[in-house]
Amino acid sequence: MAIVIDPEKCGKIKNCPGEGLCIKLCEKGAIIEENGEVVLVPEKCDECDICIQNCPNQAISKA
Amino acid sequence: MAFIERNGEEHRSLTHVNEKCVGCGICKDICPTGSIKTGPILPIARGLLKMDYININKDTCCLCGLCATACPFNALEFTLNGANIKDMSEYPQWGHSSKIDSDACIYCKSCETACPQDAIRVVRELPERSKLVSGEISADDEKCINCKVCEELCPAGAITIKEDGPFSHKVEIDEDKCVYCLVCRRACPTQAIKAVCESCSYGEYKINPEDAVIKGEVFLNDESCVNCGWCQEVCPVDAAAITKPFEGSITTNKEICKGESCHACMDICPCNAVSIVDGKSQIDQKFCILCGACTQVCPQHAIDLKREKMNLNNIRSKSWKKQIKKLVTEGTCGK
Repeated sequence: MAIVIDPEKCGKIKNCPGEGLCIKLCEKGAIIEENGEVVLVPEKCDECDICIQNCPNQAISKA
Repeated sequence: MAFIERNGEEHRSLTHVNEKCVGCGICKDICPTGSIKTGPILPIARGLLKMDYININKDTCCLCGLCATACPFNALEFTLNGANIKDMSEYPQWGHSSKIDSDACIYCKSCETACPQDAIRVVRELPERSKLVSGEISADDEKCINCKVCEELCPAGAITIKEDGPFSHKVEIDEDKCVYCLVCRRACPTQAIKAVCESCSYGEYKINPEDAVIKGEVFLNDESCVNCGWCQEVCPVDAAAITKPFEGSITTNKEICKGESCHACMDICPCNAVSIVDGKSQIDQKFCILCGACTQVCPQHAIDLKREKMNLNNIRSKSWKKQIKKLVTEGTCGK
């Protein structure tokens, strides 16, 4: 199981109500910003699901 | 701050005070019309989002007052014709409380330091230091060579050499600060200081025990106290007595808990009852009030909360009894 960010649903940094809330919540630094995009760093992810639970756009899931 | 009011046969109002709210979701669980929704509790608790913990739908709220009755934090206030239902004999009353006995308190401030809600203030008046020691001290300005050894050595900072001019100086000893340790006398190269400690040579007969009494007062702020029991636990003289809102148990499933990677439970807990031990979350039942806030935010649904008893008394209505009973469950994992 890996964390997946749906680019269709993700508001990026600009249109996210939490201005990149998942990045701010992730204690492992497994979600980063790259040119305004929200990118997952799978090696760092511990699959705590905090991002899934709190994404205001429900753009993050497990696949 | 959410506020709902309606005028019918009587004036009813419901106010949510976010400052007292901890995001436990009890109001959401008990609302019979599903009018209360919790917001993004964890980001709010971490200060990442500025908004209220809960949202009340004004269109569907029937202003029954159940949420205000069930909230153990007084974060919801319900009034009937201007009077708070918490003060009405017809309505249920919480039995949880915190009390600190001022007469038993020794004003050590342990509770003030431990209280996770900053709800305790200890104001104390210490005895005068000079009344707890007894002795005599004097300096001979003729013998003094102004070397300032005594001034530099005095551990109490009681000695100052005052210089009026190049050849005129005076040793000033503050007897309120001096504890007659005799360091100055022993170090003085010209034996200019005469001092004797009576506390050491004659015991403590010269000291009045009343002068050693620490006076004070302890203030417990009921508005911010969450009855977690930290004060009761740390108090060395058992001056604090706490009755918690719920009785039961809470455990973390260490198999699925992500501990340090997440620590959502630790951040939301109003009681400072959660710590990360060996990389996993551990909830100390001594300090937990079973409010369930951690179960609301745990993304791994790893917390098992069992409320067996609720200290809410005087529930007269049968339908209310039925609804309130929903809070006393056989185990819930944040839904």
